[in-house]
Amino acid sequence: MTLAKTRRVLIVDDAALVRAYYRQALEQAGYHVDEALNGLEALEKVLLHSFDLLIVDVNMPQMDGITFLRALRNKELPMSAVPTLVTSTEAGPQDISSARAAGANYYVIKPLKQDALTELADMLCGVVA
Amino acid sequence: MNEFVEQFLLEARELIEQATGDLLALEQRANDPDKIDSAFRAFHTLKGAAGIVEFEPMARALHAVEGVLSGFRSKARPISPAIIDECLACLDQVTRWLDDMAATGELPSGADPVADAIVQRFSTSDSDASTLPVGDWLERLSAGNPGRFSEARSALRYVPHADAFFRGEDPLALIEGLRGLISIDLTLPDPAQPFDAVNPFTCAVEIIALINEDAETVKRLLSEVSDQIEVHAIDAKPQAVSDLVLSPLARSVLEAQILLLREPGPNGRAARAASAGLVSINVLHHAGLASAANSIAGALNDADATSVITAIERALQRKTDNVSSERSETARTASPAAARVLRVDTARIDTLVNLTGELTVVKNALGHLAKQAQDGLDAKGVTASLRNLQTQLDRLVGEIQGAILRIRVLPMRQMFQRFPRPVREISASVSKSIQFVIEGDDTEADTAIVESLFEPLLHVLRNAIDHGIEDSAQRMASGKPSTATIVLRAFRELDNVIVEVEDDGGGVDVDRVREVAAARGLVAADTLAGMTEADVIDLIFASGFSTAREVTDLSGRGVGMDAVRTAVGRLGGRVSIASRPKIGTVIRLTLPFTVMMTHVMTVEAAGQVFGLPLDVIVETAMIPRNLIVPIGAAAAFTWRDRTVPLVSLAASLGLSSYIADVGQARVVVTSTGGQLGAIEVERLGGRMDVMLKPMDGLLGGMKGVAGTTLLGDGRVLIVLDVQELFN
Repeated sequence: MTLAKTRRVLIVDDAALVRAYYRQALEQAGYHVDEALNGLEALEKVLLHSFDLLIVDVNMPQMDGITFLRALRNKELPMSAVPTLVTSTEAGPQDISSARAAGANYYVIKPLKQDALTELADMLCGVVA
Repeated sequence: MNEFVEQFLLEARELIEQATGDLLALEQRANDPDKIDSAFRAFHTLKGAAGIVEFEPMARALHAVEGVLSGFRSKARPISPAIIDECLACLDQVTRWLDDMAATGELPSGADPVADAIVQRFSTSDSDASTLPVGDWLERLSAGNPGRFSEARSALRYVPHADAFFRGEDPLALIEGLRGLISIDLTLPDPAQPFDAVNPFTCAVEIIALINEDAETVKRLLSEVSDQIEVHAIDAKPQAVSDLVLSPLARSVLEAQILLLREPGPNGRAARAASAGLVSINVLHHAGLASAANSIAGALNDADATSVITAIERALQRKTDNVSSERSETARTASPAAARVLRVDTARIDTLVNLTGELTVVKNALGHLAKQAQDGLDAKGVTASLRNLQTQLDRLVGEIQGAILRIRVLPMRQMFQRFPRPVREISASVSKSIQFVIEGDDTEADTAIVESLFEPLLHVLRNAIDHGIEDSAQRMASGKPSTATIVLRAFRELDNVIVEVEDDGGGVDVDRVREVAAARGLVAADTLAGMTEADVIDLIFASGFSTAREVTDLSGRGVGMDAVRTAVGRLGGRVSIASRPKIGTVIRLTLPFTVMMTHVMTVEAAGQVFGLPLDVIVETAMIPRNLIVPIGAAAAFTWRDRTVPLVSLAASLGLSSYIADVGQARVVVTSTGGQLGAIEVERLGGRMDVMLKPMDGLLGGMKGVAGTTLLGDGRVLIVLDVQELFN
């Protein structure tokens, strides 16, 4: 297992504040953080770089998180099986099940506290405590 | 409060502007899907932002609005004006909260009842969620309480009988009274049900709760409703949570992977399964269960989902003596009260970085040259290199100065987008129908201008609506459309930024202005009689002038257009007015692009040095005297096929000219407000960049002077206001 500081996380969220909030927590925990503003940008990033975890918002302009996940899992890219954490303000059962059908590994409802975020990231990336 | 508050305030205000703009657009076109979408997104993002700064009441209020907007988004049903009003009112409340936060640096107190009231108003048409499938309530619970799930020892789902109220049961009180209750969530089984169809006498609610008490105890405590509850032990064994190597969160994540593996859809199945396997392995590694992780890895190689599921389930059942460690709270330092924040395009920062790089090159070259001089390079060589370096430095410093000034530059949009709302309200309050058009809002200007022009412009707009636009009966009578148009536009003209407010109203009533000016004694009666129409119109800028026949709520507040002129003047700008009866009025604000630096050219007249702002200078020329024709008391000449009036600088300043009657006149051709003019001077000097200081104190009212600055030798350089020279 590699060290935590080499893990790369891609935050996909259209809200700059949310990205900054996540980024700060993750960088403090030793992650390398990249950002995408919507699903389309995320697809581009995923084609070019490799990540250990994607943190994906649902409601975004141009391409929403669910469409992005579906595309990611369907396209048979090198990154298609990357762990994904979906964060959304929607708490409806429909929202959770559609995220899972699209291939989300875990679903959390915003706001997500920084310590909860890093704990989840450590888990999903297999960081040895 | 946390350190993201500053960014929150900044973004929240932008989102409010966006939402306001979209809502106002929806008022015009109620079913524009793009606008509904955009408004929804703004509320949605605003809600998320409120969550990050832990301002729960605001998030709750916005969630309610978002729910309603989302309904319009999916149904393509036009949004009603009443709802737009409610949404705007909610934004107003949020703005008040933000102001409060900006002022005190803390979350507003007493926000809860206000938020409740907003939620109440929006609750009748809430949410587009559909019926709840039962099986996943545990997952909803864990997803909804990611942090607290780990504290809980059991999870509870309680669906009371429909006739619970008649059986003397109080489901909510029952659960709220439970020992060790951590969280409680209420869900309507069918939120899509119209409000009218809800029977208030039946109990239709699903309660899910997290409880820090083992499942057996919970079941015992709730024995009276045992047929209606479902209790799930989060901690499968009756021991304390710490006895398990897998934290409840880890279990929840692993359980989610099992569900993902069971997901039936054929598309992307391989990738889903692979990611579920990878996540399971990672979670187990994280928990220190390497062997369990390896067994999943082995099952993954078989590429069989069921064997992976079995491996995960086996891991879920294992326990060891290891204790899962609690993560220590990350200490967060509160940020000090926010100073002013400026948003800067990163490209502009990059320019600065590049220029700094170039500057370093020059610095190094200087060091190299110093060494060469030490080693005996001849004076001539040193001089040449020095001059070369000086030229480079000169260019670089100029560019850095420019780049820094551009950092201070903002698009007018930031200010302009605040206007549609007040314009809408003002026009509604005087019952005038107005189409408000914004043009050139991407025009850029100095931050100081963009930030301090709001009030003056609002006053101009208020005036236009209140006095400029006639009432609809009058408009019909003069053959105009009953809806009036007011245009707010900005554009660049040389080094100036022009902001105009144009209305298609009745124009300034010149006779009325004369009457008022006479009645108020602003101008002596005989002077008034001799004034041109333009001069009379200009009187509306005089202090103490107000033409409203009755003092209205809007513009008759004693501050008139003179306040506008003062405010604009403070920014180094000028206000002018053009009015045509029955056609309309244009108020024009001419502002400098930057307020920091002024480029001037020095000229000499009557032996004294004066500065002329370089931004009004078009060209310098020598004009043969025989081509200058006297016109009345003044003179003019033809220049590039245009007739240009000529004034002598010495004469217009009341100084005696030293000019001998030489054959040619040295002139500076200027352009102000689109008008060409020429100034005769005795000598032309160089150009320089100065910080202009406006005249103040006793000299404050002096006409014809734009400001002063100090020359290198300590003399005062008076920079002239060219427009005034020609008046």
